[in-house]
Amino acid sequence: MAEIAGTMTGSQLEFARRVDATSTNQRALDQFLRGVERRALRMAELACGSRDDALDVVQDAMCAFVRNYAAKPEADWAPLFHRVLDSRLNDFHRRRSVRNRWLAVFERKSEDDDALDPIEQAQDTQDPGPLLRLAGSEAGKALDAALKTLPLRQRQAFLLRMWEGFDVATTARVMQCSEGSVKTHLSRALAALRRALEDHQ
Amino acid sequence: MNGNHHSNDRPAWINQANQVLDDSVRDLDAATLSRLNRARQTALAQQLPRAPRAWLLPAGLASACALLLAVAVWQPHHRTETPPTTPIATVDDGDGEDTSAEFYQNLEFYAWLDAQNKGGDG
Repeated sequence: MAEIAGTMTGSQLEFARRVDATSTNQRALDQFLRGVERRALRMAELACGSRDDALDVVQDAMCAFVRNYAAKPEADWAPLFHRVLDSRLNDFHRRRSVRNRWLAVFERKSEDDDALDPIEQAQDTQDPGPLLRLAGSEAGKALDAALKTLPLRQRQAFLLRMWEGFDVATTARVMQCSEGSVKTHLSRALAALRRALEDHQ
Repeated sequence: MNGNHHSNDRPAWINQANQVLDDSVRDLDAATLSRLNRARQTALAQQLPRAPRAWLLPAGLASACALLLAVAVWQPHHRTETPPTTPIATVDDGDGEDTSAEFYQNLEFYAWLDAQNKGGDG
């Protein structure tokens, strides 16, 4: 091995070092992406409405994440990946809105911030709630339908905050908006979901 | 991440919703999993370092030299020097008449004519 190293030029040694470091980083990246890909696909599917589009968006987000953020500390990967994914979903949504502008008119809703904490606003935690009264796959379908009716930002706020478990500050960084906006989006999402699931029964 | 998505301080229906979402990503079909795997490999492939190509520098230099040489040797538009068109000057030879500069330009012709005449005489 020493002989081999002795015959290598400086640039080759540097390349070998880079290969070694990259393979270590690649294993960590592979592990990370395996951990987030299914949830990312679910989020994208809810936003895009089709699995094929969702897979394209997720692949695009993975590529952009690896290209731009692979060298960042591993602790930052999750919010950064979701930031890229959120950005891609916004782009997809924008493109589709332009394509279907006449439909988008009906989807637009005014947005104004208020600093309500949705957790505090939530109703009695002992209340079983609408989903528990729905059984098995019925609950899945109901939730799926309810989530699909939410505006993109509200759905992202709900999924990032409630499902991914990010705190308000991290969710705000991921969604590139203020913490107040996150709270507003989440509050409206929770209210709309609850209403939709109640109606579903 | 994902550490607190089944929390006691939340309404129960939100925890239930999280459970439903978790269930929905657990059983994906093989085709979807395969595409996810391909997407991941495609993304990871972008990070692989590329081997330094030692032949690129000499090859580039050789190409640049060849191009330079070609440009120096091959001149498609060979310039033909055209004499400046100066207005015909008139020369005053001192006898009060203006002699046209054409005469001086045709000196060679007159010399040849003179030589022909001398040849004819001799």
